[in-house]
Amino acid sequence: MSYLKSWKFWVFLAVVLIWARMPWFIQNNYQLQVLFRITLFAALGLAWNLVGGYAGQLSLGHVAFFGVGAYGLALFVQLGIPVWVSLFLAAAVATLFAAIIGAIAFRLRGPYFTLATIAFGEVLRLVATNLNVTGGAIGLSMPGLFVGRTFWRSYYLAATALVAIAFLTNYWTSRSRFGYYLMAIREDEDTASAVGINTALCKLQSLLMSAFLTALAGALYGSAFQFIVPDSILPLDISIQIAIITMLGGAGTLLGPIVGAVLLLSASEAFKNQFKESHLLIYGVLIVLVVLFLPEGIVGGLQHRFRKRNKPPADAKPQPALGGAAQ
Amino acid sequence: MVRFLQACADGLLTGALYALIGMGLALIFGVMRIVNFAHGAFLMVGMYATYVLFDSFKLNPYIGFLPAGVVLFIFGYLVYLLLIRPVRNRSHFMQILMTTGIGLILTDGAQLIFKADYRQTNIDLINRSVHIGPFGANAAEVLSFAIGIVFVVGLYFFVSRSLTGQALRAISQSPDVAPLMGINLTRIQGFSFALGTALAGVAGGLLLPRLYLFPGVGEDYTTKAFVMVVLGGMGSIEGAALGGLVLGLSESLTSLYIGNQWALIVDFVLFLLVLSFKPSGMFGRQRA
Repeated sequence: MSYLKSWKFWVFLAVVLIWARMPWFIQNNYQLQVLFRITLFAALGLAWNLVGGYAGQLSLGHVAFFGVGAYGLALFVQLGIPVWVSLFLAAAVATLFAAIIGAIAFRLRGPYFTLATIAFGEVLRLVATNLNVTGGAIGLSMPGLFVGRTFWRSYYLAATALVAIAFLTNYWTSRSRFGYYLMAIREDEDTASAVGINTALCKLQSLLMSAFLTALAGALYGSAFQFIVPDSILPLDISIQIAIITMLGGAGTLLGPIVGAVLLLSASEAFKNQFKESHLLIYGVLIVLVVLFLPEGIVGGLQHRFRKRNKPPADAKPQPALGGAAQ
Repeated sequence: MVRFLQACADGLLTGALYALIGMGLALIFGVMRIVNFAHGAFLMVGMYATYVLFDSFKLNPYIGFLPAGVVLFIFGYLVYLLLIRPVRNRSHFMQILMTTGIGLILTDGAQLIFKADYRQTNIDLINRSVHIGPFGANAAEVLSFAIGIVFVVGLYFFVSRSLTGQALRAISQSPDVAPLMGINLTRIQGFSFALGTALAGVAGGLLLPRLYLFPGVGEDYTTKAFVMVVLGGMGSIEGAALGGLVLGLSESLTSLYIGNQWALIVDFVLFLLVLSFKPSGMFGRQRA
């Protein structure tokens, strides 16, 4: 029980408990729903961070796992399987999808990899639109994981639990041998491979973990909003949102995805009334600003500055996490 | 058989415009190694520019596409100077994010200005058709095909013959050495980004009479343009033109034999197959 002595563990526990008790202060269902979305996207950002942050593979196809999670939950329940079992079965199926997608896409690098992930996401959206079993463009109604008066509060708690799990996965990754392998791949894949890292396997593992968490979040999201259509649960926009949340906060940092989700979703919520359907405009503007002025994200940039002040550069030149990495 | 040949003809008619879109993207990728995720959004801007000229000055889209192309050229050059040049030496990761962000701004900006309404240009030509033997085609499609082919051939000769074209090819072959030979990197890159954008705008103007116009209209074309460029071999301009024709044909034949709604899926499957088995493209030489 050595972790009981670590102050970090107690801080983590305190933050999770405070986060989980937020519904004490907020009774309004609309606000709870916004809080649920922020929490869920923090979990999605953390899940994406494993692949996009630590391994440095820009996936813009994570909506595939998100959507498979949601559709899987609905379809397994239709087969008469209990809803909580279906949830994990759906996540398992999404992980299987990730294995197939990864096996093909990870053979490609740079822009080719990104293009392939986009293509997989779009193929799933189009297939879901055209098949009868997925309800086509009309969609499916989702089974409820929770019912009753405390509906949104329960979903919020479930999302909080998911963030905690995703955070612990990231924490473990950031200081395990596996995580160091991923970071080595991010900095220079050829060198990583040359020193004996099985780059294909490491990248695939990170994608599988990421897909499992993403699918759980997708099932939770679909179930909370009770009804899914391909354009709401499988659009390219969600993939982009997940990536931007993480990049804004700081890809490859532990707190980045959480900071990004809080900032970006509250900003888009605030602009929603003003811009109506154009609320993605704020995402576009933020992406451009982040890429130009804050390539390491908010948390990444702060960490960088903090480290530089504490440790004057001796022989090692500071390595920016992603932005400055040569092609 | 007649139906098959008719579908092939229809496919080629669309394919010429696809070729134009693909060549624009290939030009940008070849010269800058930047994957332009905003390409479809530029196409959409070209459509709106042509539409505004039609709506306020009653300018026929088949003339209006030219000023729209000029506007897009200038717009593309400004985008390059302000947003693309600062990231030209960054990782692919950052470049992809940048162009994605530009695409989102353009699409949602258009939504803000023009609202999400569907718009249409009603011109006389769209209701006429041309008949050759048993085959028939819409007169507007034939006209846009003809204009598209002129541009495709013109661009091909421009890139292979002119001095600027040689500079473009020099930079795409070796971006490190070409500037040492006295080629102004910023000017050539800015020019090719602007030209690629203008080509997307021209294609948008030519597509306008056949489509309903709404802010999201370009999204499918970004992905389609990638399919063409990957089919033809990334960065190969002739390859992208051929890729456009192949895509037009495959969509038209898919619509005939399987169903219209599967056309885009077939595009993507083709794309994934080529990416996984022959990343240098169907007609491409080994690159990257």
